[in-house]
Amino acid sequence: MLFFGRLKDVIGHAEESLDFAEASTIEQLFAVYSQRVPELAKYRSSVVASRNQEFAAWDTPLHSGDEVAFLPPVSGG
Amino acid sequence: MTPSCDHDDICQLVHGPIDPNPLMRQVRSPEDGAIVTFDGFVRNQSHNRNTLYLDYEAYESMALGKMREIAAQLHEKYRIHRVAIVHRLGRLEIGETSVVIAVSAPHRSAAFDACRFAIDTLKRTVPIWKKEYFEDGAVWADGELPPAPVATPRAKPAS
Repeated sequence: MLFFGRLKDVIGHAEESLDFAEASTIEQLFAVYSQRVPELAKYRSSVVASRNQEFAAWDTPLHSGDEVAFLPPVSGG
Repeated sequence: MTPSCDHDDICQLVHGPIDPNPLMRQVRSPEDGAIVTFDGFVRNQSHNRNTLYLDYEAYESMALGKMREIAAQLHEKYRIHRVAIVHRLGRLEIGETSVVIAVSAPHRSAAFDACRFAIDTLKRTVPIWKKEYFEDGAVWADGELPPAPVATPRAKPAS
């Protein structure tokens, strides 16, 4: 799990590993973190997810070893 | 690590100052007739507040992948020769260059169009974030939400 930008500030750190039921979805993963850090829930509509460094839909199933990130609106340039 | 793109393109994330001149030299060749360069640098104000400095961070491995995708798209869409896309990370002071894009082409029109497409696409799709520091605090800059798939393609249920 990787967090960037304001999400890193909300969660309090940039990355961690966690054990998660095989084939659970990115949406379910976000829900787990929202329970742990309730403030995260309000960012749900302004975040996109990536799986293994590609943008991914919220219903994407997860597998062991996947690298998932929650990405706030990007502001490079 | 200096990852390169196809077509002898240059895609880099750097942690020090960017000098556009060597990049322009590297995309330049005798069969070209034009290079268009975009130099993005740190403005001294944002939303009517005086900016002190910016701090850029990136999902580096994914950002490089997306920069390479942009370079590949340019070759598909425009009659260009070479592309350089270099973005700087870390703390940047007012006036310092954060991003340089240089596109060479036989003719100017393709180079202009490709350079514009590259910076617009970078700002929308490459996972880089900037934090703006003001005299009275700091905020993550408003940005653009990258387009992501709405749903995974469903496999047909077994009958």
